[in-house]
Amino acid sequence: MADIAQMDDQEIDPNVLVRVDDLHMHFPIYKGILRRQVGAVKAVDGLTFDIRRGETLGLVGESGCGKSTAGRAILRLYDPTSGHVHINGKDIAELSRTELRKIRPQMQMIFQDPQASLNPRMTVGSIVSEPLDEHGIVSGKEKKARVGELLDAVGLNPSFVNRYPHEFSGGQRQRIGIARALALNPEFIVCDEPIAALDVSIQAQVVNLLEDLQSKLGLTYLFISHDLSMVRHIADRVAVMYLGKIMELTSVDKLFKTPKHPYTKALLSAVPVPDPKIEAKRERIILQGDVPNPANPPKGCVFSTRCPIAEDKCFKDAPKWRDLGGDQYVACHLAG
Amino acid sequence: MLNYTIRRLLFAIPTLLVISFIIFVILDLAPNDPTGSLPLTIPAEVRAQIREALGLGQPFHIRYVKWLEQFFINEPLNIMEHWWGAPIGDSDSRLRVTSWMSRSPVVDLIVERMPQTLWVVGLSYLVGILIALPIGVISAYKQYSWFDQIGTFVSMVGFSVPTFFTGLLLIVVFSVNLGWLPSIYDTTLKVTDFSSFMAQLRQLAMPVMVLALFNAAQLSRFMRASMLDNLNQDYVRTARAKGMSEKVVLLVHVLRNSLIPVVTVIALGVPQIFGGAIITEQIFKVNGLGQLLILGIENADIPLVQTLTFIFAILIVFFNLIADVVYGMLDPRIRYD
Amino acid sequence: MKKLTTLMMAGVAASLMVSAANAGSHSKRGADGQLNIIYWQAASILNPYLSGGTKDTHASSMILEPLAKYDEKGGMVASLAEEIPTPENGGVSADLTSITWKLKKGVTWSDGSPFTAADVVFSAEYCMDPTGGCNSISNFNDVKSVEAVDDHTVKITFKVAKPFPYGPFVGATVPIIQKAQFKDCMGAKAPTCTTQNFGPIGTGPFVVTEFKSNDVVVYAANDKYREADKPAFATAIIKGGGEAAAAARSVLETGEFDYAWNLQVEPEILAQMAAKGKGTIVTSFGTSVERLMVQSTNVDPALGDKRGTVEGGPHPFLTDPAVREALSFAIDRQILVDAGYGKAGQVTCNVLPAPAVYASTANDDCKKQDVARANKVLDDAGWAKGSDGIRAKDGVRLSILFQTSTNGVRQGTQALIKQMWKAIGVETELRNISASVFFGGDQSSPDTFQKFFADIEMYTNNFDGTDPEKYMGSWTCNNIPAPSNQWIGNNMPRYCNPEYDALVAEMGKTASIEKRAALAKKMNDMLMQARAMIPLIHRGDVSAHANTIKGVRMNSWDSQLWNVADWTRAK
Repeated sequence: MADIAQMDDQEIDPNVLVRVDDLHMHFPIYKGILRRQVGAVKAVDGLTFDIRRGETLGLVGESGCGKSTAGRAILRLYDPTSGHVHINGKDIAELSRTELRKIRPQMQMIFQDPQASLNPRMTVGSIVSEPLDEHGIVSGKEKKARVGELLDAVGLNPSFVNRYPHEFSGGQRQRIGIARALALNPEFIVCDEPIAALDVSIQAQVVNLLEDLQSKLGLTYLFISHDLSMVRHIADRVAVMYLGKIMELTSVDKLFKTPKHPYTKALLSAVPVPDPKIEAKRERIILQGDVPNPANPPKGCVFSTRCPIAEDKCFKDAPKWRDLGGDQYVACHLAG
Repeated sequence: MLNYTIRRLLFAIPTLLVISFIIFVILDLAPNDPTGSLPLTIPAEVRAQIREALGLGQPFHIRYVKWLEQFFINEPLNIMEHWWGAPIGDSDSRLRVTSWMSRSPVVDLIVERMPQTLWVVGLSYLVGILIALPIGVISAYKQYSWFDQIGTFVSMVGFSVPTFFTGLLLIVVFSVNLGWLPSIYDTTLKVTDFSSFMAQLRQLAMPVMVLALFNAAQLSRFMRASMLDNLNQDYVRTARAKGMSEKVVLLVHVLRNSLIPVVTVIALGVPQIFGGAIITEQIFKVNGLGQLLILGIENADIPLVQTLTFIFAILIVFFNLIADVVYGMLDPRIRYD
Repeated sequence: MKKLTTLMMAGVAASLMVSAANAGSHSKRGADGQLNIIYWQAASILNPYLSGGTKDTHASSMILEPLAKYDEKGGMVASLAEEIPTPENGGVSADLTSITWKLKKGVTWSDGSPFTAADVVFSAEYCMDPTGGCNSISNFNDVKSVEAVDDHTVKITFKVAKPFPYGPFVGATVPIIQKAQFKDCMGAKAPTCTTQNFGPIGTGPFVVTEFKSNDVVVYAANDKYREADKPAFATAIIKGGGEAAAAARSVLETGEFDYAWNLQVEPEILAQMAAKGKGTIVTSFGTSVERLMVQSTNVDPALGDKRGTVEGGPHPFLTDPAVREALSFAIDRQILVDAGYGKAGQVTCNVLPAPAVYASTANDDCKKQDVARANKVLDDAGWAKGSDGIRAKDGVRLSILFQTSTNGVRQGTQALIKQMWKAIGVETELRNISASVFFGGDQSSPDTFQKFFADIEMYTNNFDGTDPEKYMGSWTCNNIPAPSNQWIGNNMPRYCNPEYDALVAEMGKTASIEKRAALAKKMNDMLMQARAMIPLIHRGDVSAHANTIKGVRMNSWDSQLWNVADWTRAK
């Protein structure tokens, strides 16, 4: 991509909190007795986007498209293969482990499975307060008060501090996970499918909590989900991912009203509409074939093998990241 | 937890009674005979008299009830007498469980052998654990590294090479060729000063290492597997996301959770210590409980084998309970109500 | 009767030649430090009356003494007795029904109390109590009474004339125990006296200081021992456990121990160990013979209760003398010795190979393998080889089930014999049975050596002491194991020959040692020529002692530690 070099040279817009720049995350494949590397799973293959302060960027895509990997690589829970992630102007992909630990408080993550992401042998109190100790933020009585405050903020009874995660319901556990993420006053939170494992009735509560916290604390979210309707509800802008690459990036309204990329269209056609009349007429675009193997993606456009409108050039050349104007970007030869 | 423990203990009573009965039946059906090991120069009539004197002439149920009485009433009374130092009732005519081989009370034989068995087998268990845990942790953390590969190889060797081979190898190297360590364990050695302590260490070195290698091989694999299970859990990622140092992530978060099943396995293995190590004890002439059991079996010493196996059964039932209780204490997700 | 006594005792007197004075020169008691002995079978109990195990007898022989011991040549030496009673010295009555022992004077027990005739009388009562389960009770066969004539004279009276009256109190299995210590341990109470059984008070050179059953015995020199400068060792231990090779190693290779007992180790390995030069292997031969028992009754399972009994009928092919002869000549005994026994065995053609006076030379042609003769005998008898190479006659195939106890050497021997028999067209199926079952005598088990539900079985037998009368009496008709006698009886081959029975009866009445020897040889030859048994190997005892230990006189007739009081350590 030609414009990357330009972007590097640019002063980063102060409105941009996170700038992801040609991020690659490849997992090597070893085979044989000597365990030679024979290839790599290209889970994330060249992501470039900005997240503005205070906004919620939705990241959607099918399972296995690399959205969770992207979230983790952005927070450097994985060491990216190449590329840069600037958070508050610092390239965290380049930082040493110690430096990285120091700026961890700025960026946090809320995980998909609230059960698995909480250490089963630690009480709620110690889960929430552990990072406070580690980063030397507060201690003693103050710490206790802070934990109570955090639990209160996420709608949990502060007297629960001495309980263990398994004693809570799924929704409550996710609130613990949120309280934990908030403990260090982060600016940026990656929400990795935070509601996917929850009951539908609880999902709305948690999403509302996230929205409330965002407005109160001025948080910036990267909201990863496969649930388009939830993304529509919470996100300001949405990036659509397919096979490690972003297909389309635009505001929520534009995405749902005037999707440009054939993949986006296919995805949207699968979202049920609340109005039964429209729902009855809704035409579904069924994609043919399976998602290609990320270890061996198709030449040209990665979507070409399943694209209903693909032409010859789609099979040969990778489409450029095009600005269609009006803050709508797309990677497709034919969209426009 | 207390109610649970009490309930389990109550359930253990009928279980153990059934076990004792089964052991008794099996031993009774076994076709060997206590006079079988006597020299052939002793004529058959004399053998018949010896069998009679051992009480073998009585019917099965009477022998079983007698054993029950001796084990559950007479032996505990005898132990109490020992503690209080005063006779309870008619202690002279109270029959104790008596070995046919040595004509002495089985419980005394067991008590006499306890020290060397605990020294050798117990210590090897401890050493095995101390070796296995770090190896398991590092192997898992650096999965597929050289350390892990070597660890895998060593534990495969430790597990698959029988102790009679490693034991003999050590004897040939350290006793025969180098002459550093004694090949025969002296059970009469009393540790009173530094030099006798060193002598004790020297004679412990080989049997303990042989058994420790074997124990460590098993346990380190277990530790590694448990660590690997936990290393990929989300909460580990959470801990890293919190910005915890790797040391804290590994030792506080991962290790603590990984130890839960390992501790259970360790607790379940404790009865084996009391079971002794039959082969290793033979090789180094430790003459502990394992050797006692095998001698008892060879000589058809039914009261001895019955009592010893039954005590193992009690220990196994008991340590199963302990393992469960420990699991409950370590893992807050488990509640026994 | 007088003539009888004179004749009888001539031979005994010959064997009474007291062995030469001790080789080692004694400085004083306890000067040589500790003596370390290893018995890979550990002692279980130190009262030999309650245990028949050799290991226990030997361990207790350092503490307890009989009236007389057997020396390494099988001759008797007085220990607690003043001398060996004989008809010449008037100790044995002319009618052979009583023997009078004169006890040494001034002997004390290790607790300081005097040793008297009362202790001897008590020891007899202790063992003869039928409820006590005494292992040595057969030594007291036909004893009518044992009485103390005075403090130092004991008279044993027999119900019948006893040409060999040395059953009671000769040898390590029948020592004298102290009356004061054991008086409350008679009969059924015997096994409950753990303190006494684990720490008997004796008159011997050592006392027990610590005993861990099936593990270790710790001794100290008996300061009341009657010979002031003995024993040379201040302390001794007998450690038990492990197996024979390890015991050998501890003496011959590591030098941790001074004496190791019963080294049934592969001959090659033992020789390698001995080559280190730290110790010496010593052997001696008693009466043990590894032999094949040849079944003469039918063991077809279809016979049910009659299986293996005389009523069940004769064996389909082993009753043919030609087959028996061929089986014997087909075996190369020297190979069996070399492969499994080494120094601990020698080829023999007799079931009664020792003492020398009783050993026949009439059957020595079997010492060399003679396959040609074996084949010829079978050919002549009409046993022709079939298409499968196995001989058969009238539809009966020479197919043998061959059983023995489970034991590495025995299984090796079995395999070799199978090969040798295959060479003459005899098929063999091998079977081994756990020793405690095979020798266990459990009537409900079909696998005991008495039931002998097989065609051939192999084991070793021997007899205590030096007199073969009882041993040779094993093969009389009434000694055949059968359901009617609860399968008790030692005549495993079911050999029954009135002529043989007559010889046994005659020996019971014969006192002359020469005549007794002639009779014993004749009986041996009868058994050998009928091939009721096929002897293979005269088995010896193998032990090893460190080169620094002097005075070991390896003994197969008594405890190997019989003269431990004379052992010294070379400086």
